[in-house]
Amino acid sequence: MLDDVDLTCEAGEIHALVGENGAGKSTLAAIAAGEITADTGTIERSGRIGLVHQHFALIDRLRVWENVVLGHEPQRGGAIDRGAACAFVRDLGERYGLEVDPEAVVETLPVGIRQRVELLRELARDPGILILDEPTAALSPSEVERLFGTIALLTQRGVGVLVITHKLDEVFAHAGRVTVLRRGRVVEERPISATTREQVARAMIGGEIPAIPAHEPTHGAIAVRVAGLAVPGAIENLSLQIATGEILGIAGVEGNGQSALADALAGLTAFRGTIERPHSIGVIPQDRLLEAVIPNWSLLENVMLGRERATSAKASWRIDRAAARAQCTAIVERFDVRAASIDAPLSTLSGGNQQKLVVGRALVDNPAFVIAYNPTRGIDIGATATVHTELLAARNRGAAILLISFELDELFALSDRILVMTRGALRGEFSERRFDREAIGRLMVSA
Amino acid sequence: MNRESAKALAIGTFGVAAAMSLAMIASHVSPIVGFNAFFYGAFGGKQQIAETLASTTALLFPALGIAIAFRAGLFNIGAEGQLLIGGLLAGWIGTRIDVPPAIAIAAIFLAGAIGGALWGAIAGWLKAARDANEVISTLMLNFIAASLALYLVTGPLRAPDAAGPELSLLPHAYWLPTLLSHTRATIALPIALLAAFALRYVLDSTWFGYRLRAAGEAPEAARRAGISLSRVALWAMAWSGALAGMGGAALVAGELHRFNTQLSPGYGFIAIAVALVGGLEPLTICVAALAFGALESGGLALQAAAAVPKDAIHVIEGLLVFALAARRYLGARGAGAR
Repeated sequence: MLDDVDLTCEAGEIHALVGENGAGKSTLAAIAAGEITADTGTIERSGRIGLVHQHFALIDRLRVWENVVLGHEPQRGGAIDRGAACAFVRDLGERYGLEVDPEAVVETLPVGIRQRVELLRELARDPGILILDEPTAALSPSEVERLFGTIALLTQRGVGVLVITHKLDEVFAHAGRVTVLRRGRVVEERPISATTREQVARAMIGGEIPAIPAHEPTHGAIAVRVAGLAVPGAIENLSLQIATGEILGIAGVEGNGQSALADALAGLTAFRGTIERPHSIGVIPQDRLLEAVIPNWSLLENVMLGRERATSAKASWRIDRAAARAQCTAIVERFDVRAASIDAPLSTLSGGNQQKLVVGRALVDNPAFVIAYNPTRGIDIGATATVHTELLAARNRGAAILLISFELDELFALSDRILVMTRGALRGEFSERRFDREAIGRLMVSA
Repeated sequence: MNRESAKALAIGTFGVAAAMSLAMIASHVSPIVGFNAFFYGAFGGKQQIAETLASTTALLFPALGIAIAFRAGLFNIGAEGQLLIGGLLAGWIGTRIDVPPAIAIAAIFLAGAIGGALWGAIAGWLKAARDANEVISTLMLNFIAASLALYLVTGPLRAPDAAGPELSLLPHAYWLPTLLSHTRATIALPIALLAAFALRYVLDSTWFGYRLRAAGEAPEAARRAGISLSRVALWAMAWSGALAGMGGAALVAGELHRFNTQLSPGYGFIAIAVALVGGLEPLTICVAALAFGALESGGLALQAAAAVPKDAIHVIEGLLVFALAARRYLGARGAGAR
């Protein structure tokens, strides 16, 4: 996984660790934090190394304060001192701009707040170095700003922060130094002032960034028509239309009804109102591991999911394995999925390659309507470029595409039109590719 | 047989051998004498082998059924009740028809399958329509099945000539042909083996089996791919019950030659252990059923020869299931936490 890696993180600095999926970043973080043991080499540390995982390691059914003090609970007379614990959490939160209600149960909190809890838990143990693995993958732009505010406070107090990320914008806006990992080796380490975005991107992928094809608006007839849509507890009276050959971007902070909209359009939830859409549909779900794939199964069996009955075999009850193999091989080749074999378990692939398979499965039959929900969340530059290229190619073939994303850059790069979703309603309309970042950002946070 | 199920089988075998040795030592019996008696009882001669095969058959049908439900993510504890209702319907049909023996035997097995399937489908329907926990519903349906069977055989369906609460004897022509003459080893065994191969084919090569496994492995991903979890629950429980019910039919037509409420000494529960030890893979389950069949018949001989109570065997089987279930549960939790 890793080969002869040297990495230093100084007290009080923000050090960015970048690299594609599967480059070994998370492994390196886990070794540094002592969660797994390296075969050879040494780790020297002054103070504790705290690690905040990309997929949070919180106990969902416990309260915030319970999660934070777990393992070193303040005690009084043999029982946990709940009052002291809550006061501790509040105090810590105020100091670092991480305000959370200590009495809230974790599973009721949105992703951005859960991350604060995770940070608080590590900060409670007074780390010398804090490692954040993909901390902004699920955050809205304003939450990202807030997070880096907290990180700045930490560095002022002498904590060294190692941020693992794909997002070069963040690296160049906030970090003091950058280390690039590729295939388990350090290929570059420099102060930010001595490098450029292009240089870092080239080092990450070991070559030039694939160019996204040119983007010409080709609006056709209306393909998807939603009128008066209501989903209890999430959406009230929502209407939208998508034309053939159009990508409609939905901007918004997570938890404003985007999931209900996607599920209603995919036919996965009960709704009121009318939805007219083509029968052939491809869906790229939001949560890859939970909603899109069966990690223990092979690539082949994962590609069959949802099309297990689409068969040309003579007996209609049988799965047509030969056809499935051919299709899986076609997806692997066309979408550049890098795997040992199509019979390998999907869990052996990097996140980016898993996602390419999910996208390939959704697009391979050229559906007339595509729902893409955060299609590049947590995947690297190369895989992101493949996914973007394929979405644009589907659009140019005449597909109507609903793109829900928490990344404004992604929406700007792909959308023909952008609507902003807040509290289950659509506001503002930005079209003809004249997107005003400030105006969209204001709408996203307006309640 | 995949590596995981082979591992489960090996662990099971060693675990049982070790626990049996301890039970013998605790009963002041030399393990050499004890195992000698045990193996003689299980494999010592034609009669012993036939007893082992009969127990194997009785366990194999419900174990295959349980595997179907477990693979779909449904913890079917109700094989005992499904077996009983299947046996009841089989025993009733057997006394009501007058057809050539081959057709009669087919009808008896079909009746067993239908009875078991209906009983299993109740729990499946409760799960699909009302999201009722299948552990509770199948467990409770066992008691209902036992009470219903007892009511029917003591009341409306009681044989006029019978000494106790039971149905009439099947016509001799409908008794299952034996594999070894004058023993209880019948052609139910090859039928069960056939069912195992059929089940493997269904799970691996049909879209129904694929949906069933997908629903069990990753319900949310399966649901989003358009697989109806309710439909899977209903059909998986029905097929699960059908196989257990065929086990009941095999006991009725092969051993008792009539239905009574003493049909099964808990085969439907021991079969849970068989299914788990067999790693929920049909062909491995056949091997596990043979091992448990030998434990049943050998355990009886052990009790007679060395005064090691047969209940000790059941305690060992229970511990084995406990260990396997814990391993499975902890394994799943470990993977989830990563």
